[in-house]
Amino acid sequence: MTDMKRRDVLRYSAAGAVTAATAVVGIQAVAGPGSAVGGEKAAAADPRDFEETYKGKKIKGKHNAGGKDELHINNKKLALTVISTLFIPEDGSEPYVANAYISAVNHYDPVEIDNDKNKEGLKKLAKKVVDMLGDLELSDEAAKAHTH
Amino acid sequence: MAVVRKNFTAMTSAEKTAFANALRQFKTTSANGRNYNWYIDQHITFFARTTDNISHAHQSPSFFPWHREYLRLLELDLQTVSGNPGIFIPYWDWTVSTLPFTSDFLGSVTNGSVSSGNFSPAWGWSLYRSSIATSFLQRRVGQNATRPTASQVSTVQSRTVYDQSPWNSTVSNSYRNRNEIELHNRVHNYVGGHMGTREAPNDPCFWLHHCNIDRLWWLWQTVRGLDTYQPRTGTTSGVVDNNETMRPFGAGRSPLAVHDISALNYSYA
Repeated sequence: MTDMKRRDVLRYSAAGAVTAATAVVGIQAVAGPGSAVGGEKAAAADPRDFEETYKGKKIKGKHNAGGKDELHINNKKLALTVISTLFIPEDGSEPYVANAYISAVNHYDPVEIDNDKNKEGLKKLAKKVVDMLGDLELSDEAAKAHTH
Repeated sequence: MAVVRKNFTAMTSAEKTAFANALRQFKTTSANGRNYNWYIDQHITFFARTTDNISHAHQSPSFFPWHREYLRLLELDLQTVSGNPGIFIPYWDWTVSTLPFTSDFLGSVTNGSVSSGNFSPAWGWSLYRSSIATSFLQRRVGQNATRPTASQVSTVQSRTVYDQSPWNSTVSNSYRNRNEIELHNRVHNYVGGHMGTREAPNDPCFWLHHCNIDRLWWLWQTVRGLDTYQPRTGTTSGVVDNNETMRPFGAGRSPLAVHDISALNYSYA
């Protein structure tokens, strides 16, 4: 099941539509010893989930198995879209392709999603969005989904 | 009437005022069946992959021709709404340090907000579908990214392959994708605030930025050939071929139809 989903991710990544990617990330995270993969409601909280205060705003991130990851800032939802995109490091090292979150707010500034080398993707996104908002808040428009 | 699109630094103060006022007028007055907010709607709708499974405006080969047509329509509508056939979209060459965020032009910024003067609510500029809860246009200039340098622009411009499979945001050897990510995205992020959002055309500097992107594509075309769009006529699924209509524009508004700007009533100075 997991292998099959992994292949799906590769396939979808190549096509540029990677809606399955977050599902796999979630499954890997809860598939440790003793935990049931695909349980209807038994999945333990993902260790990467967070709820904390950053620069005076409450940031809450949740990684969902079989669904899309969720992010709330001061209880306002920010809809996330996963894209596969080229990253071009400013230090001149080789460009690489990775899956990344974009949203209404960081629409041109993808943030690499959680994977083996980058556990804090969702939190990095949360902090980036807070930095962009400054004293302001998200509006209801930010919660509207968007497919790429 | 054919217009010459100038660098905004070369505009007279009368031209700057006329441009700003035409944008404001278009917020509340329709022309040719469209108004300003129609453009924001199209940007949001066609940023996404639409029901035809095509990404028309971004992360795809039609990034350049889609925005060329989008700007051409706006220029026409601004001329119509203002009754001034000489209105043109100026370009912003972001490799030089002079910025368009001044009180006599696109509005000055105080603590991230355009709170008075041009493009403030009191002046007559309202936001539409903002994902940030505010009535003030937001700019966070330089907070999140730097401007591209002339040498970085030159490196991107020297790429020889227009675009190639898989025709999306992952292609490395692609003039289109390198320009889109390294220049286009970066300047959206450099301005920040609403320019970094899905509803970026709320900021009038969107048009100056994309005018410069269009100018760079035109300069590239004059070196590599005018009709060099990829993919050519064929059946490549999921992308706009050279002779395929770009939505939401009218029938026949294909990449081929916009490849030569001399047929579109404008040129670059």
